[in-house]
Amino acid sequence: GKVPASNILASAPSDKNLDAWRELGCRTTHCNLEVVHRSTLVFLATKPHILPGVLEEIRPAVGPHHIVVSLVAGVTIQTLQRLLPPWTKVLRIMPNLPCVVQAGAMVFSRGSNAGDEEAALLKSLLSSCGLCEEVPESYIDIHTGLSGSGVAYVYLFAEALAEGAVKMGMPGALASRIAAQTLLGAAKMLLETGEHPAKLRGDVCTPGGTTIYALHQLEKGALRATVMDAVEAATNRACDMAKD
Amino acid sequence: AGVLAAHKITASSPDTDLPTVSGLRKMGVNFTVSNKDTVKSSDVLFLAVKPPIIPFILEEVGPDIEARHIVVSCAAGVTISSIEKKLSAFCPTPKVIRCMTNTPVIVREGATVYATGTHADVEDGKLLEQLMASVGFCTEVEEDLIDAVTGLSGSGPAYAFTALDALADGGVKMGLPRRLAVRLGAQALLGAAKMLLESEQHPGQLKDNVCSPGGATIHALHFLESGGFRSLLINAVEASCIRTRELQHLADQEKISPAAIKKTLLDKVKLESPSLSVASASKVSLFTHKSKKN
Repeated sequence: GKVPASNILASAPSDKNLDAWRELGCRTTHCNLEVVHRSTLVFLATKPHILPGVLEEIRPAVGPHHIVVSLVAGVTIQTLQRLLPPWTKVLRIMPNLPCVVQAGAMVFSRGSNAGDEEAALLKSLLSSCGLCEEVPESYIDIHTGLSGSGVAYVYLFAEALAEGAVKMGMPGALASRIAAQTLLGAAKMLLETGEHPAKLRGDVCTPGGTTIYALHQLEKGALRATVMDAVEAATNRACDMAKD
Repeated sequence: AGVLAAHKITASSPDTDLPTVSGLRKMGVNFTVSNKDTVKSSDVLFLAVKPPIIPFILEEVGPDIEARHIVVSCAAGVTISSIEKKLSAFCPTPKVIRCMTNTPVIVREGATVYATGTHADVEDGKLLEQLMASVGFCTEVEEDLIDAVTGLSGSGPAYAFTALDALADGGVKMGLPRRLAVRLGAQALLGAAKMLLESEQHPGQLKDNVCSPGGATIHALHFLESGGFRSLLINAVEASCIRTRELQHLADQEKISPAAIKKTLLDKVKLESPSLSVASASKVSLFTHKSKKN
């Protein structure tokens, strides 16, 4: 709610993706150049292999007043700056899916010409979608492994929780809703108390109780290491893909 | 450990060839081969024999137990009620305290818990606590927790020795001389334990404090997690606790083999320094028993 919808102009080759923008009250076009001519802050949200073409297209219209923010996975600031005029203020951001429900986790880095003002503007705009932090560019791939892909790990965990409940006799739909709420609640407590997760975990474990029995099963399955492996694999893959 | 003067301690063992005997003698402890004499001259009796021997020793000294005596058993898996039952034949209200300690009492870093029996008073418990606190940490617990304590801190030193042996191997593999590797490994665990005991922080937080991003430690920890390190430790504590309960169950059914009795040696001895003591009204004695039957 920081920017009126009428101030937002979105462009795409076909109408397919533009309906969603129109429904929000944004203006739409099929012309990328028009976006650049009429806007100061320009977000690039294409698939990686499309981006070079788009940059070539808009390059002539990009001026010193523009702020170009790329959401394109795997395309480095170095590449962006190479394909745009040398004075361009460039920032690179990696969001995650829950931005769409204003509970996202985003990290961004600035290019050589982007200053504190641009960083502050981006942060202030995007904080309305969730957590938004500036980081060194090297963290962006890690963020992919942790949070970009991380959302999928959580979906997997939620599904498994629910299946466990179904096995024990609970109807699936109810189990799924409770599973999701459990994750939401636990995450909220983590964020709001600021306590170490190990401490919060210990707080739930009464001696000889149900929780510690369950946790033992998780440890036997080496869940921690598996999760670490997952974050590592996704991060490495992000790095590899960026090199292509 | 300076709580009790050595001459107020009496130790007995029928077998005087045991190495612990000469150790006790050197400390200035009164020594006798007669368990009965020990009982007569003491107020607090530590039964330091293996669990299967307990019934036999109780039979032997039972007649001499008086109301003033506090009988302390450190035998794993031997319940207060089994001791009280045996002694009630001789004394209507025997004071029994059951405790579980561990080997590092030898270096005054023991971990001891105790549970008081039906007729033991609060002061009796406090007396034991004072004695055992001189060799480490000591606290009272409900008797039903003692098996868990056995699994954790009773057996715990063995887990630590195993870990230290392996850590030293790691050091040697990477080029350290063995002695240095052992020394450094032990110091690392000692230091970590001390930090934890002195800190308000959760061990998870302390672990994080050591792990710089992308650094050596976090790489190493990943290996530990992959190997199920945590679950192995949980399994160990559980196994030790369950086995303790099993042994107790067997003992309750009085399934004691004569062979086990024949092979028994002195189990654990509470070693206390003979230095200047706080004057104490009670006398402490240490029992051992080796049956010469069969």
